[in-house]
Amino acid sequence: MTTDTVQTGGADATKQPPVQRPQRLRQSAMLAAPVAGIAVVFAVWEFYVRVFDISRLTLPTPIDILVHLIDQSGFYWRHARVTLLEAGLGYGLALGAALVVATLMAHSRFAERASMPVIVLLQCTPVAVLAPVFLIWFGFSVWPKVLVATVICYIPFTINEFTGLRSVDPNAYELLRSVSASKVEIFCKLRFPQSLPYLFSAGRLCVGLSLIGAVIGEMFGGSTEGLGNTARVGQTRLLIDQLWGSIFALAVIGVIGYLLLAALEARVLRWHSSQDLPGGPTAAR
Amino acid sequence: MTRPCRTAYDGAVPRSTLAGSHTETPTGGASTARRIGAPVSIRDVSKWFRTGRSFLHALDGIDIEIQPGEFVSLIGPSGCGKSTLLRVVGGLLAYETGTVEVDGASPATARDTKQIGFAPQTPSLLGWRTVRRNVTLLAEVNRRGAVHPPLSEAATLELLETVGLGDFLDLLPKELSGGMQQRVSLVRCFALGAPVLLMDEPFSALDEITRNEMRYLLLDLWERTGHTVMFVTHSIPEAVILSDRVLVMATQPGQIVHTETIALPRPRSAAIEDDERYLAHMRNVRRALGEVSAR
Repeated sequence: MTTDTVQTGGADATKQPPVQRPQRLRQSAMLAAPVAGIAVVFAVWEFYVRVFDISRLTLPTPIDILVHLIDQSGFYWRHARVTLLEAGLGYGLALGAALVVATLMAHSRFAERASMPVIVLLQCTPVAVLAPVFLIWFGFSVWPKVLVATVICYIPFTINEFTGLRSVDPNAYELLRSVSASKVEIFCKLRFPQSLPYLFSAGRLCVGLSLIGAVIGEMFGGSTEGLGNTARVGQTRLLIDQLWGSIFALAVIGVIGYLLLAALEARVLRWHSSQDLPGGPTAAR
Repeated sequence: MTRPCRTAYDGAVPRSTLAGSHTETPTGGASTARRIGAPVSIRDVSKWFRTGRSFLHALDGIDIEIQPGEFVSLIGPSGCGKSTLLRVVGGLLAYETGTVEVDGASPATARDTKQIGFAPQTPSLLGWRTVRRNVTLLAEVNRRGAVHPPLSEAATLELLETVGLGDFLDLLPKELSGGMQQRVSLVRCFALGAPVLLMDEPFSALDEITRNEMRYLLLDLWERTGHTVMFVTHSIPEAVILSDRVLVMATQPGQIVHTETIALPRPRSAAIEDDERYLAHMRNVRRALGEVSAR
């Protein structure tokens, strides 16, 4: 049912304004906007390199990089899978740990006070210096990179989820208390669903962060695989195409991950005002 | 006190909608056509709030006996303790002296056994739940504690039809107007099946036209179900139209300074607003409130 056309007063449906068409146009424009933004940046970049005759060693054109990526797609796909695995595992571990810790913090002031210094400590520690430590602990396996990605994602996930779990609607909370709902019921029916916008917000941020973590882990964790490694090799051996190809591949992975998460968010958070188009929700008023 | 007659029925919706699922008492007693709410007894209740290093005397010696199925409104200036009293009865706030009993049990026990339905100031609907799922929220939690069964799904849906939400069952709260959200909130309160309903200015955020519509809707629902209702409001017409008794409260400390027993026939409709007795009750309550303000 299209809610724009619902009338509570039983008005004649044939007198409804045609709202479908403008809304579809608006939705199409919303979808086209990011593509247009990227196209403009690439066009300016291409134009700049060609017109000012910039050395390809300094800055290749986007078309050159894309052609290289397509030519060497097998190479990049092999390394991308490694980075994806590291980033994905790091993302998942951070999410799981953050859910547990944030839930404990939201329910206990003691847990909150005990956890905060650790979180601040982690936040203030440059993640790059942890990579060699993890390398010593876990050797040349996938885990040093996974753990770097985990550490880098853990903070935004925990802080956001904690804020979300604490930002509970006091009236709804009181309503559930009025029938002696248990803490678990309040968590499942109120706290967790209400925290989802905060969690998704952190989730979007952590798509990029998990890739950064995995790449840092590969660069500083003695890796021989992954896009971080290919970028490092490209830089040290002056393989500029490989360096930029790695950067592009990472960017594409990040964008795809972000878009997938945004699609999931749009579905899960259909109820939340963040998913409304400008102009507010469609109301059956 | 003369109990008003609430047996008349306008036939808009089968009475079974609201009473059908309540035909059995917790002890398995005989069926009744409609359920009568539980008594509420408040004796010499006082309540203090700590404000920094001092204490605020919020309620002082409150004595109210509410009969089963009675509709009692609390009216008074802001800060006089109306909402506090409601929360004390609902077991949401502790009190220092006196006794409160809901159907012979303490507020905490009444809360644990789901004998109290609560309607807060705002509709407080869960944004991710549709209308259909919002009204069943309270029935879904603390299932084992409930001594009274909630309305059946069919009865709840019929109730939603009654309040004009039959076509909006699968909409989200953000897709509803303020008045529609408040109707969902009311149905949620009634659908719990609790014998005592506590309503804390449920219509305060609505415009006057919607508010007027909502008070008659509430009246209609209540006249069919016979719950015991404690209703907090700032509106004199609302209190007089809805209630069997209007209790006027004074502030600092919160005390009941005037009881207005509303001798208007039931069922009540908008026509009652032209009744001389209605106007007289309005005058009495207004006068009592004026005296409270002058204190």
